Amino acid sequence: MRFLSKLVRIWAWLGIITVLGVLAFLFTYVYYRGRHVLSVAFLTQAPSGAVLGEEGGIYPAIIGSFWFTGTAILLGSIPAIGTALYLVYFCQSEKKVLALRLTIQCMAGVPSIVLGLFAYSFLVKMLGLGRCILSSGVALGIMILPFIEVRAEKAFQEFPVSLVQASQALGVSKTYLILHMVLPACRGEIVQSIVLGGCYAMGATAPLLFTGAVAYASVPDSLFKPAMALPMHLYLLISQGATSIDLAYGTAFVMMAIILVTNLIAILYARRRHRIWKQS
Amino acid sequence: MRTIKNKLGQWVIGALTLMTLMSLAFVIYFIIQEALPLFAEVSLSDFLLGDRWMPIAFTGEPSFGIRNFLLGTLYVSFLAMAIASVTGIGAAIWLACVADDTIRNWLYPLISLLAGIPSVIFGLIGLTILVPFFYRLGVHPGSCVLCAAIVLAVMLLPYIISSCADTLYKLNKRYLTAATGLGVTKWYAITTVILPLSVKYLATSLMLAIGRAMGETMAVMMVMGNANLFPSLLGKGETIAAVIALEMGTAENGSLHYHGLYAAGLVLLLLLFFINLSMGLLRKVLLGKEEL
Repeated sequence: MRFLSKLVRIWAWLGIITVLGVLAFLFTYVYYRGRHVLSVAFLTQAPSGAVLGEEGGIYPAIIGSFWFTGTAILLGSIPAIGTALYLVYFCQSEKKVLALRLTIQCMAGVPSIVLGLFAYSFLVKMLGLGRCILSSGVALGIMILPFIEVRAEKAFQEFPVSLVQASQALGVSKTYLILHMVLPACRGEIVQSIVLGGCYAMGATAPLLFTGAVAYASVPDSLFKPAMALPMHLYLLISQGATSIDLAYGTAFVMMAIILVTNLIAILYARRRHRIWKQS
Repeated sequence: MRTIKNKLGQWVIGALTLMTLMSLAFVIYFIIQEALPLFAEVSLSDFLLGDRWMPIAFTGEPSFGIRNFLLGTLYVSFLAMAIASVTGIGAAIWLACVADDTIRNWLYPLISLLAGIPSVIFGLIGLTILVPFFYRLGVHPGSCVLCAAIVLAVMLLPYIISSCADTLYKLNKRYLTAATGLGVTKWYAITTVILPLSVKYLATSLMLAIGRAMGETMAVMMVMGNANLFPSLLGKGETIAAVIALEMGTAENGSLHYHGLYAAGLVLLLLLFFINLSMGLLRKVLLGKEEL
């Protein structure tokens, strides 16, 4: 047993060292390979070259990615937060709660490529929307819906029951309670869950394949047009055999910087606002 | 007026919930409906057990067998999970039992950043570092199942670490003082009390992580070689998700090939539902009243 406990100790140390090593390696490697490419021109020009993207920049892809993400957030977060509120404050029966939770869990399990397949046949082909930001946005929205719901629900559950009971004793309606107490109190977590969901949507490639992201498009001005997206651009750069992998790393660096910085800000913001009522 | 407002609020929230349910129901209905025409032509056993995937009849009959893709998906997911759990649980033990609160509060968000990295970037790094590495080792094309499993393992790490560290931390808080109070060392208590107690919680979290692994498309597709072969550790393989991603654009709308891709998607979907639901329920049963 003493031997075994020594083994566990070594296991723990090796585990954390490996994980932190991998983490450090990933960030420094992408930075190291991508930093040469980074320039004002790379960020503000459209791609060009024999294999598209070998020269020029990624400006339309950056803007396109924000369009896709915005659409996904708009379509995904509102029903997600509504469902979370319903589960915590309105649903009376245990069974209904369980059934809804299982449904959300199932939804979280739908692979993103299947959502892409769905959006491609239903929205692009059957409804005739064609490849456009909206088609991809729907797939991405369904993808991030359970992601946001789970986090929002957790935040609502942490809202103290005593405050709910006090407000009910005063005869305050549930809608008023939610609008004036629960939502403001949970603002940090809700914003965080939406931002993290947005980051998740921004990095996803599979739902964009064939639904709305294309190899080249100018900066989008409508939801009904196809656009470029950073992850798609990166994938195409690699799969179409560009002679140099550097620009792919440049794209990866920009994408990672956008996502991680937003991520970090959201985490810190939520932490600062975390459970104000518990600090007093 | 106030009651109207209240009713309106309830109504809006109810409608949003209904929307959530309907969207999921519709996606599933649509996939089943588009998958069914295939089974009019191909029997279920041929589909699941056949090893020839010739969706377009260039020569001879078209044939739809996804056995290799199905096994490829399972193989790479379980292998990735094995690799990730060895390192991930180790790291979780460290985080739960060695780190103090300050370090833990810094490392948690840092490790969760790993979950924010898009999967194409993992694919890119796998393709430029791991594939050449395996090539130099003598694995001929370089891309192989092991390569994909390593990439996937790194992607699973943050999920495994966060759920395992949470469990271990709570158990640690509950039992460690009592155990060390009896005079045994901290590591002895961790090995003999906390780890055995945590097994059932950790097992279900690991299975849920497998579900996530099976749905992963891009990173795996980029490093696995994508050939319809019986998966072997250092050989090429292809996953169901990769088949869909690679062939979706070329399948003629309404053709048997198109329905075949939907059927493959449905198999993957059902597999994931089964894993998620059974693990979710198992967790409920195992946890029972002793919610951590």
